[in-house]
Order: sequence, then C-alpha cells, then structure tokens
Amino acid sequence: MNSLRISGTVALTATALLLTACGAADSAGSDGDTLKVAVLAASSQNGYNQAVYKGVKEAAAASGKKIDLKLLDGQFDSNTQLSQLQNVTSTGNYDGVVVVPNDGVGLAAAFPLSKKIPVATVLNPVGPDINKMEPQVDGVVTTVGVPPAMAAEKQADGVVTYCAEINPCNAVLLVGNLSTPLDVARRDAYNKVLGAHPNIKVVSTVEGQYDRDTSLKAISNVLQAHKDINVILSNADQEAAGAQIALQNAGIKPSSIYLTGAGGTKDAVAAVRAGTWKGAYINFPASMGKAAMEELVKAMDGGTAKAVVNADDIGGTEPYATKETLTKTPDFTGEWNG
Amino acid sequence: MTATETSRETGAGAAVHGGTPIGPRVIAFARDYAALILLVAVFVTLSIISSSFLSFTNIMNILNQNAPLAIIAVAGTFVIVSGAFDLSTAAMYSVVSVVAASIATSTGSVWLALLAAPVLGLVMGALNGLAVTRLNVHSFLATLASSLVYKAVAVLVTGGSLITVTTSGFSELGRGKVAGIFFSVLILIAVFAVASLLLNGTVFGRHVFAVGGNPEAAHLSGVRVDRVKVIVFALSGLAVGIAGAIGVSRLASGQPQAGTGLELQAIAAVILGGSSIYGGIGAVWRSLVGVFLIALIGNGFDILNVNPQMKDLVTGVIILAAVALAAADRRRR
Repeated sequence: MNSLRISGTVALTATALLLTACGAADSAGSDGDTLKVAVLAASSQNGYNQAVYKGVKEAAAASGKKIDLKLLDGQFDSNTQLSQLQNVTSTGNYDGVVVVPNDGVGLAAAFPLSKKIPVATVLNPVGPDINKMEPQVDGVVTTVGVPPAMAAEKQADGVVTYCAEINPCNAVLLVGNLSTPLDVARRDAYNKVLGAHPNIKVVSTVEGQYDRDTSLKAISNVLQAHKDINVILSNADQEAAGAQIALQNAGIKPSSIYLTGAGGTKDAVAAVRAGTWKGAYINFPASMGKAAMEELVKAMDGGTAKAVVNADDIGGTEPYATKETLTKTPDFTGEWNG
Repeated sequence: MTATETSRETGAGAAVHGGTPIGPRVIAFARDYAALILLVAVFVTLSIISSSFLSFTNIMNILNQNAPLAIIAVAGTFVIVSGAFDLSTAAMYSVVSVVAASIATSTGSVWLALLAAPVLGLVMGALNGLAVTRLNVHSFLATLASSLVYKAVAVLVTGGSLITVTTSGFSELGRGKVAGIFFSVLILIAVFAVASLLLNGTVFGRHVFAVGGNPEAAHLSGVRVDRVKVIVFALSGLAVGIAGAIGVSRLASGQPQAGTGLELQAIAAVILGGSSIYGGIGAVWRSLVGVFLIALIGNGFDILNVNPQMKDLVTGVIILAAVALAAADRRRR
C-alpha cells in the first residue's frame, strides 16, 4: 500500500471515528421525554449570539424539562443559515428552533417548514418587513425584538435634544453595513428624524461594519475633512468604541461631542456611566434568548406563545441609556462583551 | 524591482526597446507600472478635488491605518513570489490578537503581551510551512484548513467575546508617535527595508524567486525547496504577529473577529501591485503600491462623503483595470 492509500485510510478512519463520536454526543439523552431544540446563531463566534445562547440555556435549565440544545453556526452567511433551518426542520429530529436571523428577509424562504415545529426568532423578525414584529410567516410563534427603525429613531431623538441649541450641529452617521436591510432601515430612520431639524447637518455617512478597526479608520478619515463634528451616531457599540479612539487620536475629547452607540456591551455601559459617551441603545441578548426559549417551551408543550416580546422591556433598565438613566440601576453592567 | 524583473527589463528587453518607437515603449511602461500610475493618478486627483486630502496629518493617517495590512502584504510577497498562498493570515491575526490581550490582562506585562504576538505568529507560520511541505498539500488548501483551526482557537480562547485591555501603556505601540510619526509607520518602514533587502539582495531571495519560477529546476539546481517554503510561511506568520501586535495595541482589545478579510486584502494588494499570481515575479514595493492604492480610494471616499457602496464599485473597477493591464503586458511579452 503506498503512502497515499495509507493517508487516505487514516483520514477515513479518523473521520468515521469523529462522526461516530459526534453522533454519540448528539443522540445522548434523546429519548421520548427529551425535547430537541436547534439554536441557529447568526454566528456562534460572536459575543452577542453567545449571550443569546447563554440565555437560551438558562431558560432550558429552568424549564424543568429535559431539553437537548444544539448550537449551529450561521457564519454570518444568509445562505448557510437558510440551509441550516431547512435541514433541521426537514430531518424530523427537532422539536423547536430558536434563531438569531442573519437576514430575516431571506430566511423567510424556508417557510412553510417541511415539518411544522415552532420557531422563536430573536432580534430580527422573519419575513419581508423588518419593522413588523408580529409573525409574518407560518411557523414563527414568537419574535423577541424591537423594530429597528423605532430603536434608531429613539437614538436620533437623543441627538435632536443635544443639538437643540447648536446651529449648525454637524453629525456623522456611522452605520454597520449598508448592504443589509437592517442597517438601511436604521440609516433611513436616522435621516428621517434628523432631516426634520434644519440646524442638524449630516456631514458624512460611513460604514463601520460592526468592527472597531473599520470604524476607527472611517472616523479618522472623516475627521480629516470635518474637524467641527458635534455628533457621531452609531448603531453599534463596537463602532462607537472605534470612533472614540479616532477622536482621541485627533486630540478631541470624546466627551466633548455627542457620541452614542447601540448594543449594550459592558464597555459601552461603562463608557456611558463615565460620561465618555452620551448614550447607548441597550440590547439585552441574554434576556432575549431566555425569553425566546420560554415562549418556545410553551409552544412545544402545545400552548400558545406570546407572539411578540418587546426586547426593550425585559432587561431591567431603560433601553436608551444615558448617564442619568443608568444611575437608577447601579448594578447593571451589560449582558455581553462586544 | 526584483532580480527577475531586472534581467527581464534591462537585459533582453532593453535590446528590443532599443529598436522600438517611443509610443509602444510608453504603452509598455504604462502596462508594467499600471498600479503605480493609478496610485499617482488617484493621489493627484484627490489632492485637487479635496482640500483636506493633501496634508501631513491625513497622509500620516493613511499610513498609520494601513500599516498592519501593509506589513502582512510585504511578507505575503515572499509567499506569492514562491508560488504559494497564505489564506490563514486573518485567522493568525485573530489568534495573536486575543492571546496578546489575554496575556496583558492576566499578567499586566505590556512587553510580554506584545512580544508574544510575533513569536506566536512565527510559530503558526512555520506550522503552515511544515503542513505544506511535510504533508505535501497545496498551500491553498493547507492554509485554508489551518485558518479554520486557528480561528477556532481564537474563539475557544475568548468564547467569542472581546477582551478589553486596560493595562497602562498597552496602547502606546499602536497609537504612539515620535516627531509626529506613528510608531506603526516606522515599523512598516523598517519591515519594508529589511524585506526588500532580503528579497533582492540575498541568496535566500534568489532562491524564493527560483522556487516560484520553477520548483523542479530550483531543486535540481541545489535549492532546498522545502526549507525555502517553510521560511516564507514563517515570515508571513511573523509579519502577521507584528501587525497583530500593532492592531491589538491600537484598539486596546483583542477579539476573535479581528482581522476578518485581511487574507484576501493582502493577496489582492500583492497581485494588484503587479506581482505574479503564478509565482516567480514580484517585488515588495509593488505590494505597498497595491495596499496604498486601495487605501487612497477608501480615504478619498470617506473625505468626500460619497455613498459607501460607490467606494466598493470604484475599488473593484480599479483592481480589475490594474490587473487586466498587467495581464495584457504579460501576453504582449
């Protein structure tokens, strides 16, 4: 037998052993009393999704039932996640699904499901209207989230208040990824609110890609052309953190402008408490995952799940956080790291 | 200019040029230096249409922002000239990012954390080289597989979360300056100088060209092909480690998503600059031209407040144009 054949045999044997081991792990405890739930993360390598999964696990443990969870990694790819949803609902091996959609619009293609099992969605709805939280497709039993446009408008309202006595009030929009419906909806909401106030001038709109380094570069570039910025309005804390570094590099005190992010990371909550940022729209991913699992358990039991859970109401603190609102909940530190 | 290019352009090429009219010679020059000419054209255009572009702070800003990518591309030139690819640079970057941040937060030692990055990068790069040579797997597949392994390590270390570093002095490498010049830019200049000397002025550099040009012939000529390949991958890992140390210091945080897309950006910059994707031809300066051509477009669009989607469109068209011009030049020859 030549070396190629030996290598092939070793690889096949190793693969078979690995698959057997994985299969054994998957099937552990899967008797008639065990509910099997697939958790479809937009990306299992992402802190936000990890926090959602943590909440799902907590709710599963607290339910008093035997629930076998399987986490699937969508790799921030809409097609990958669509395939995963189709696979888990066609095999007949699962009793329910919790999903954090990477693209809720595209994910609607999986409906109607091959096997009718309940689906709970977190953060984004599944269906054509990204701002409609009520189930849009047959199979989704609960949506835990808030309309992105509504949340973005709240952020923009904070800018309007800050800019009331400033004319012109120069604002930079630092938006995640303008090729996705979610961020286009947010950008449009920002422009709608800010556009109604003639003293506010949006001098630049740049993409931050939910990344500190990308945002640091983008804001550094913007500051070359606009040194008199009053506001940086971002939809993500990671982006606001990058903007903060860009401001510091340019010799501008971040606290001297209206810098705001969204997401509710621990760093963001600390920055708002310290006054470095003026605000941050708080998400509660662990609480959202927990709520989604609680509603899913109801549906798997044959009961009726709550169609919409307002994610702003479940975290125990005011979602649009400012230094003042956070003083009311001194123990709140945020539910995830960015 | 590389040793290969030197002989190609001033040897046989000069004799041909001697009898060629000036017009075709200008066209041939334009094709060979397409990326450089485009870089100058974009630079001049931005200087004219934007009052903010041509300033010391903005130029330093561009250099500083892109120093990590440029360092990776400089080392990537060795890999591509040797006829291989390194698709694991982004994953290695994320590993060194989270490990450096972890060390800084757990030990409080800035230097230990920042020195760990290049050391770890060197080790991971050498492992890539060994995977390619010992397992006889094409570099494309070997580094694709190792990138999955390295990325998984980064996620396992952090659980997918960001590690914030508050250790005093940790940000100095990424944000500090001397005489108005960022440390990262000085490091880039040093890396560029050493890499240029290594590729163009040493026996090792000639061996890299030989391995990329024709590995069989190189082997028959006494070149230890496998050793050259391991070294170029180790250099790539070392460069990623240096770039990662700068990046993690600049952001004062390590995260498993750090460096996403860097591998393709670095390869695109090397190819855009004019190094051959087939190996055997290339130069370090060409890779820097590629990096900064893309960087200028990004900087210009942000300054001019143009729709971000237009930035991707224009960048794509320019990359296609530059590579097509270079391909036309090769066909002509």
